[in-house]
Amino acid sequence: MLNTVLYLVLNTVFVVAVSPLVMSLVKKVKAYCQGRIGPPLLQGYYNLFKLFKKEIIYSQNSSFIMRLAPYLNIGFLVAASVMVPIVFLPQISGIGNIILFLYLMVTAKFFMALAGLDAGSTFGGMGSSREMSLSAIIEPVTITSVAALAFVLKSTDIPQMFATTLHGSLTQYPTLILVAFSLFIVIIVETARVPVDNPETHLELTMIHEAMVLEQTGPKLALMELSHGIKQTILMALSINIILPLGLAADAGFIAIIVSIVSFTVKVLAFAVVVGVFESMMAKIRLFRLPSFFMLALFFSFATIVFELLA
Amino acid sequence: MIQALFLGGGVALLLAAAISAIGGQGSGSGRRRAALGLVIVGVIAWCSACAIVLADNSNLTFQLYQLTPQLGIAFHLDRLAAFFILIVSSVTACVAIYSFRYVEHTGSESRRDMSVAAMSVFILSMVLVVASANFFAFIFFWELMSLSSLFLVMFDREKGETAKAGIYYLVMTQFSTLFLLLGALLLHRYTGTFDITSAGGLTLSTAGIIFTAFFIGFGTKAGVIPFHKWLPFAHAAAPSNISALMSGVMIKVAIYGLVRILLDVLSPELWWGTLLLVFGTVSAVLGVIYALKEHDLKKLLAFHSIENIGIIVIGLGLWVIFGNYHLKTLADLSLFGALFHTLNHAIFKSLLFMTAGSVVAATHTRNIEEMGGLVKTMPATAAIFLIGSAAISALPPLNGFASEVMLFQAYLGAFQVPSPLTAVLLFTALAGFALMSALAAACFVKAFGAVFLALPRSHEAEHAHEAPMSMLIGPGILAAACCILGVFSYQILKGIGLDLPVPNVLPVSLVALTVFGLAVLAVRRMEAKARVSETWGCGIHAQTSKMEYTASGFSEPIITIFSPIFRTRKIAHREFADKDKSIVSGGSGEVHTLQFFEERIYMPTAQFVKRIAGYVSGLHNVDLDANVMYIFVVIVVILLAVGQLL
Repeated sequence: MLNTVLYLVLNTVFVVAVSPLVMSLVKKVKAYCQGRIGPPLLQGYYNLFKLFKKEIIYSQNSSFIMRLAPYLNIGFLVAASVMVPIVFLPQISGIGNIILFLYLMVTAKFFMALAGLDAGSTFGGMGSSREMSLSAIIEPVTITSVAALAFVLKSTDIPQMFATTLHGSLTQYPTLILVAFSLFIVIIVETARVPVDNPETHLELTMIHEAMVLEQTGPKLALMELSHGIKQTILMALSINIILPLGLAADAGFIAIIVSIVSFTVKVLAFAVVVGVFESMMAKIRLFRLPSFFMLALFFSFATIVFELLA
Repeated sequence: MIQALFLGGGVALLLAAAISAIGGQGSGSGRRRAALGLVIVGVIAWCSACAIVLADNSNLTFQLYQLTPQLGIAFHLDRLAAFFILIVSSVTACVAIYSFRYVEHTGSESRRDMSVAAMSVFILSMVLVVASANFFAFIFFWELMSLSSLFLVMFDREKGETAKAGIYYLVMTQFSTLFLLLGALLLHRYTGTFDITSAGGLTLSTAGIIFTAFFIGFGTKAGVIPFHKWLPFAHAAAPSNISALMSGVMIKVAIYGLVRILLDVLSPELWWGTLLLVFGTVSAVLGVIYALKEHDLKKLLAFHSIENIGIIVIGLGLWVIFGNYHLKTLADLSLFGALFHTLNHAIFKSLLFMTAGSVVAATHTRNIEEMGGLVKTMPATAAIFLIGSAAISALPPLNGFASEVMLFQAYLGAFQVPSPLTAVLLFTALAGFALMSALAAACFVKAFGAVFLALPRSHEAEHAHEAPMSMLIGPGILAAACCILGVFSYQILKGIGLDLPVPNVLPVSLVALTVFGLAVLAVRRMEAKARVSETWGCGIHAQTSKMEYTASGFSEPIITIFSPIFRTRKIAHREFADKDKSIVSGGSGEVHTLQFFEERIYMPTAQFVKRIAGYVSGLHNVDLDANVMYIFVVIVVILLAVGQLL
């Protein structure tokens, strides 16, 4: 019981705390690649504090959907974050079903898309429409990658998957490297990054995620941005702890947790650098060319399944 | 006790039909209320009878009427039948509450009376189909169910669209009965009895043919693609309380038939499972893709019924496949997932049809492009519809997710299947399943957004009024059921003694709720000071409804991506004011999508039948001798056929 409470509190607090840092680091890396200095690393936190103090303004046309969506969004994403152990592997079992994890994120997205349509502005509608279309065609890829993971690691429970890779080694599960490629593409799509979306701009051409939250203001916008950051962190954590679980604490010991937190922070920051460099190298792909990009990811996960079947 | 409750329920329904059919002087609405009240009493009696059967696991058979030693009306109640009767009666109770006010809003007095009478007969026949102990009773009540629902579909018979729906429905429902009859007669040939349950795990060389006949028969009624075409027409044309019954309950009766055949009558083979899986996946994916381009709210929901029937059939297919490989846990997951989804779909689909009915009654149109902004005028209806949308999109923590995750879990266990070919098939079908599920979410963002959000796009939508109380209570009860069956799914399954590897949604919901509460607390102060004002819109003077995203605009990217399925043809025609073709003076644009099944399968078949009918009608104009000869030939054929069969 104590173990569970400790896990819930520590894991949630850590995820919420580290998310803005990861977001800012990606921005910083992209700025360096473009020859700029970029915002300070703590800019993400400054932004959130600033937004929390700002006034809330609702459009005249909006309804309770707009008002509820940010709360629901953060609620479902934090609930999803509980399923991905980062600080240590909890003793409680059966809390980390990976399908439930994915669908909690879909629920958050569902309400965000509704909020985009709520005010009746063209931008919000455009964002919602594109977001739901892309999420529909990435879903088979995500689920196939999950099926490949479940196949290789013989479990559908996330903490159990982590335990398997933590006690084994990557050489035992070489096909995981293939799944990692498709997971990477899934992360790029789900976190609205180049070449799928451009988080920097509010231009019509790239409007997906940013357009949906365009009507949100003040603390509501802060909640939306924070939940977007949490989503990115937990998706990254999922791939990191499966591919490179080194340092993850198997039990709740004081030193083990410190090691776990430090090593994860290092790994997730390294991941953020990779994402930043990747984004700088890529050009935005046309919206209707994206399905072929997703097919690449589908290919990697299906290849994994076929290899495992033949092995 | 059970028998008394069961027959009592039947009598109550018959009384209800009689009261409203006989009619009389004075206030018609009082008479119809009495009839609907009797319907509710009757279905509550059924519910309690079924609850006893489910709790005791008892089997009960009783005779009602014996025509000949072979043919009679007999009933058999066991857990499976009780489960389906429970679905029928609980959903029916809510629809009856909804109908109190709904039936009063349209049509003439006498037509309303007939509608309530036909509805009572319809409900009665659905329950009796499920309770039937032999194929004679089964097909008798099956036909009664089809005909009573046909009358209900034809409620607005003056409209051309209704006539088309009626023809499609009549033809397809007879097509379905034909195959059921074929299956029952073939079965009779080998077992010598019409009893359904006593056949017991038959292994026959011709079992495949019998199964195929039953699959076509039940599949047509359930709306499995390619036998689905009647469904969107009939569901759209019927009054909304009837659509709720047809889509929520009647197509489940067909699923009951399929489950009964697979479970108790025949012993399934591997290829049947593959067949079910393939047809289920095609129905699920195409159903939702067609729903996305639909702008008629009720047709959109009807296509989602096809999708959900696909999901249930997928579950049955997985059960047969895993059962054949003796993977017991996975087989149980699939079967109970399919049955659970049957219950869940009955709940949220009738909820959606009822709230759609309220919306249509308020706006006088089914076209979602002419709605919008209803969340402000009909907030309670909007909230109920939102819960239904989230449930059908399989979003946790609601019930649609609870049953779909069981099928996902079964799919993810596919690596245990020893045959690599089957495993690859299963993983491919899994990708289709995921696509379907995500598209459903997209479609309901579209539906909810276009109907309820943004600015109203027509005069009617602007002046809509909230639905009356009874039209909120009926679907409201079902909305509560969606939440309870979802959040407590794990505990409920455990409670009824099923130890299956399904996720526990309760703790996750608690965490989400806590965080939700904390966030509300944190923003409490700023929320109190929130200001309502005009938001920035790129310098426009005032925002109008012409600027917002419509349903067609919303689904355009998906339709473009899946254009090979729609066979979209875009024709753009531009006229220019100058000879260099740089200044556009006018033009027109058209987008055509191919109605593949209607244009390529149904109409050619109908033409073919019509041609044959033309030849046959030529045989009518003959003299007496030839007619006598026809009769002679027919009698000889009948005698030969009877000799073969018995």
